[in-house]
Amino acid sequence: MADPGILIFLTSGLFLGWSLGANDAANVFGTAVGSRMVRFTTAALICGIFVILGATISGTGAALTLGKLGAVNALGGSFMAALSAGLTVYWMTRLGLPVSTSQAIIGSIVGWNLFSDSYTDLASLLKILSTWVICPLLAAIIAAIIYILTKIFVRRIGIGLIRLDGYTRLALILAGAFGAYSLGANNIANVMGVFVPVAPFQEMRLSDNFSFSSTQQLFLIGGLAIAIGVFTYSKRVMLTVGSELMRLTPLAAWVAVMAHSIVLFLFASEKLEQFLASLSLPTIPLVPVSSSQAVVGAVIGIGMLQGGREIRWGKVTNIVKGWIITPLVSGMICLLGLYFLQNVFMQTVQRESLYILSSKVMQKLKDEGIDMKHLHGLQNTTYPSSASLIRAIESQKPLPSKLALKAIKYSLLNPVTISSEKLELIDTKVFSTKQMKALKQLNGKKYEHSWQLGSALETINQEWEILGENIEHKLHDRAIKQKLAYIYRHFSVKK
Amino acid sequence: MNPISFFLKKQYEIEEKIHRLLKHLQDMVLLHQKAFEAYLEKRWDVFENTQQELGRLEKELDLLGHQIQMSLLRESLMPDSRDDLLKLLTKLDQIPSRLKHLLADIGLEKPVIPEEHDNPIRKLLFHTREAVDALAHAVDSLFSDLRSIRQFVEETARQESEVDRYERELLQLIFNNQELDLGRQYQLKYIVKELGGISNLAEDVADAVLIIASKQSS
Repeated sequence: MADPGILIFLTSGLFLGWSLGANDAANVFGTAVGSRMVRFTTAALICGIFVILGATISGTGAALTLGKLGAVNALGGSFMAALSAGLTVYWMTRLGLPVSTSQAIIGSIVGWNLFSDSYTDLASLLKILSTWVICPLLAAIIAAIIYILTKIFVRRIGIGLIRLDGYTRLALILAGAFGAYSLGANNIANVMGVFVPVAPFQEMRLSDNFSFSSTQQLFLIGGLAIAIGVFTYSKRVMLTVGSELMRLTPLAAWVAVMAHSIVLFLFASEKLEQFLASLSLPTIPLVPVSSSQAVVGAVIGIGMLQGGREIRWGKVTNIVKGWIITPLVSGMICLLGLYFLQNVFMQTVQRESLYILSSKVMQKLKDEGIDMKHLHGLQNTTYPSSASLIRAIESQKPLPSKLALKAIKYSLLNPVTISSEKLELIDTKVFSTKQMKALKQLNGKKYEHSWQLGSALETINQEWEILGENIEHKLHDRAIKQKLAYIYRHFSVKK
Repeated sequence: MNPISFFLKKQYEIEEKIHRLLKHLQDMVLLHQKAFEAYLEKRWDVFENTQQELGRLEKELDLLGHQIQMSLLRESLMPDSRDDLLKLLTKLDQIPSRLKHLLADIGLEKPVIPEEHDNPIRKLLFHTREAVDALAHAVDSLFSDLRSIRQFVEETARQESEVDRYERELLQLIFNNQELDLGRQYQLKYIVKELGGISNLAEDVADAVLIIASKQSS
């Protein structure tokens, strides 16, 4: 029987899913609906189906990382973060403004960080904020280039009007379906990722070869929430993106969707990152970017190419204001909501985390390149939050953001115990035979800090080795880190 | 049936109807020439039969035009150029009406056409047919190959100039002919002007085709 508390907390995720469907779905089909090439009902149906498919089939990859909300460490906190993001997106949707769920969530996370006195990595935050400027700019440039090329291509092939209309419609539907699938796959972690460890469902085995895991069931429900959001509330934002910003021709509508998808791909493709690295070219940072910003940028890019007279700049200004307001409002709601949830409803909104600069941690930090000369006075002091730890270190010497994150990671007290009971429960499909063998060798061992388990595994077998910052090793390292995060959670000793 | 054909079924259906409509238009202008020539040759039964055949085709063409317009509206095809296309089809529809009405007027008034006017009228009929034919190709290109539109639009304009030339020549012949009284002169002038008006209309429609095509590629 599912815990009713979990089900109540789950509603905020479903509400966020609904908001995501009501707002972000407009980015993939907005231009098609706004240019009257695809009917809203057709767009909503295709979008709904592909969002659910994307969430259920490809969304499970996020289960290991728990998505961007992973930093929030208690279910009550996750509930409020999702609720405040959902409320903010809902409010913006009511105003007909295309905002991004990711923007709202980032605001919520910062709100939670402030409430829980957790360290906010300004470098990462600035990196994400910079993409909020770069992303629409890049989308505008790509849209302008594709628009010129498409026009030349259409002129060259000289295809008839009706057939061109048919092909454009087909291209819009295919691009939209692909976009909806990606939306479901990528964003389901934002919506449901935090509930994965507490999913109240049993695995369903439909045949020998086909089973439906509890995570997939959870993501299916999240996908359904997104689809309901698309059906019930996305029309207004779709029309804003598709026609109120600027009147788009069907071909321009397709160009906008393509430019939007390319930008998302550029910022999300690990394969492209590796390819660029192999050619010694600068890589594009893999950061979550807003699809709303991408599509608005693309529409403006096409408009600018035509002289900019068609663009309704007043509407653009409102949209940009929405982008600034969204994270701020979401952060404020989260902060206030957490206060009430903790003090009025007596709910746990943050898990107690302790940080200690023990001799082992000091040594590890020294190995990682932190100059510990002035920090000996802090040895064996315990800190109740990551922000208090960094404040203490910075009172002795300034600490760059990257090293601050390392200090937090290594000093966190997160005891893990490898027990045979938990070894039996582990999902062996995630690991190679050698990795499993190394893990089993550590049966019975206890560690104060989870990273010590990682170091022990690395010593036993090189398949656990993190190869370093070299871009070519990035994918390998990311996979190892995801596996380590999974076993740290699995073997964590809960207080 | 391949998936693309399945998806573009509605588009193919409209294209096919437009092809049929244009074929009917070409057949009508040919029948118009045939009927007029039969009148000049005083083969009354051929004139009557051809006129009836033309009337039947005009009805079919009307029906097709209506079906195409309805499909464009109902299936919300080509939202950005639909208004232009509907205007184009309405304009195009005036040509068969004028062909039919001119023959009907001739059949009713039975004007006596002097023999020396015979040859220039045949030329006028020929170039009118050529102009409408070129227009039909221009419209067809709008739905099959945008690249060839300009050549057919230019051909329509060229044929219209020829029509203009023979129209002027004929009007001079009519008003220089002392044997014709003023009433007959005006009766023949009306017929020549009506005949010349068909190619003028064809040129107007061809210009509209070019504007739609230019909007697409701008």
